[in-house]
Amino acid sequence: MVPFLGHGVGLRTKHFPDLLEQGRRADWFEVITENFLNVGGRPRAVLEAVRRDRPVVLHGVSLSVGSVDPLDTTYLRDVRALADAVEPAWVSDHLCWGTFGRHNAHDLLPMPFTEESLAHVVARVSEVQEQLGRRILLENVSSYLTYAESRIPEWDFLAEVARRADCLLLLDVNNVFVSATNHGFEAGEFLRGIPVDRVGQFHLAGHQDLGTHLLDTHDAPVPDPVWALYRDAVRRFGRVSTLVEWDDHIPPLDEVLAEAEKARAFEKTVLEEAA
Amino acid sequence: MTLAELQALLHGRITGMVPGRDDELRDHVVARPPLDALERVEIYSRMYLHRLVDAVAEDVPHVSRVIGHDAFVELVRAYLHEHPSRSPDIGQAGRHFGAWLRTYRGIRADLPDLALLERARSEVRTAPDAPVAGAAELQSLDPEALPGARFLFSPSLRVLRLQHDVRPLWDSLEEDSGDVPEPIPGASTLAVWRQEFKVFHTGLSEPEARALMVAREGGTLEDVCATFAGEPDPAHTAFKAVLSWFADGWVAAVTSRRA
Repeated sequence: MVPFLGHGVGLRTKHFPDLLEQGRRADWFEVITENFLNVGGRPRAVLEAVRRDRPVVLHGVSLSVGSVDPLDTTYLRDVRALADAVEPAWVSDHLCWGTFGRHNAHDLLPMPFTEESLAHVVARVSEVQEQLGRRILLENVSSYLTYAESRIPEWDFLAEVARRADCLLLLDVNNVFVSATNHGFEAGEFLRGIPVDRVGQFHLAGHQDLGTHLLDTHDAPVPDPVWALYRDAVRRFGRVSTLVEWDDHIPPLDEVLAEAEKARAFEKTVLEEAA
Repeated sequence: MTLAELQALLHGRITGMVPGRDDELRDHVVARPPLDALERVEIYSRMYLHRLVDAVAEDVPHVSRVIGHDAFVELVRAYLHEHPSRSPDIGQAGRHFGAWLRTYRGIRADLPDLALLERARSEVRTAPDAPVAGAAELQSLDPEALPGARFLFSPSLRVLRLQHDVRPLWDSLEEDSGDVPEPIPGASTLAVWRQEFKVFHTGLSEPEARALMVAREGGTLEDVCATFAGEPDPAHTAFKAVLSWFADGWVAAVTSRRA
């Protein structure tokens, strides 16, 4: 399993001055892997400064582990080099696909949940873990469509990937809520379908309600229904490293840190109730 | 439909590279009220374009401002059709934008050059770090080895060959002065580099541009000096230029032929 790091926030350019001048005031930081591959200058200097006194996790968005394209070995080599330099607590990415014919859509497109997909993803995750020399965490994505071909519930698919490939899971609580709303399943059923011993991290974020669907925007505070689901997640999975994502309309660092503190308080309450 | 067929179908529609096939999409994407299958796919199509427009605009903020949002979106849409992103880093999506813009008609003539400058500044800002060599490294060489000295330049140095002098335009947009100068046609060479975290650009004289090209292609100090042969006081001009390369932090290392 992975260590418990506490309650962290994403490392974002807007907060670089605060982080350098006022110290690193979160328990840990999550870094978007692709923003730091083969990079120098201020971003690299800030990453190194943060890493000197806080744990860091690398979170990728371009692994495209579900794509039928060949794995991008140059990308994997670069990720491994960054991981060797930064020594993150772990490396994560998403259970999705985004490339076809080497054309990157830069999106986290949902998989069809079929036996063919399952075998494909399991083989790819195993290959990725071998090339990176470490276990990875895979995150469930928010989605706006499902496929007629799907035969397996998403939570069972995730659980089976984790079991067969021996990887861990990053449970994005907001994504569960968004997808549950968009596709009409019960979020609690998703949580109950995920094996407790495979979850190494939680994500929390805000979304937008567009009337016809929820959009995973990461541009607002965590809404109450997601906090409620987070409490359910803590009840089921216990103490799990939790990270607040805020990627658009990014507020001052204090506001993001306040969300991480809110997560800490909810976790404490739930665990005290359970004790 | 196999996984590969499904991904080809959806990817083609989302990126706009393979339009049509809507009937097939309806068969494979589940309609769930209030959205039908195509409306669900369209959510991804919109996000694809907007995400990449934002990424390119981040590289060329002044160009996108001059062109205006709606026109810029259409430009990026056309650009992506010819240059789909091949990199896992979305920050690389706009790397061909300036060169592509040169093939495009109906915009201010100097905007492709401004795009090239903005992109170079963006690349330089996060280029890999490298050591900085001082002129003392050159001076420490054995005098006999000096003519054969070669330069290794910082990975954060870029040299741009442009068709307009866009420095006044860039200055005006950067200062947001509201006084946008007319295009200034004519070949110009700009160097773009970083010192610590600050990015600079400057114009190079034609002799210095030639000398820098020779040095970057592995020429020796002797070769570099030879490029100034037609100039008044060539030795002084050559050394002044070379010393400025060190002072500005362009040189990462010096090697001698004997080394």
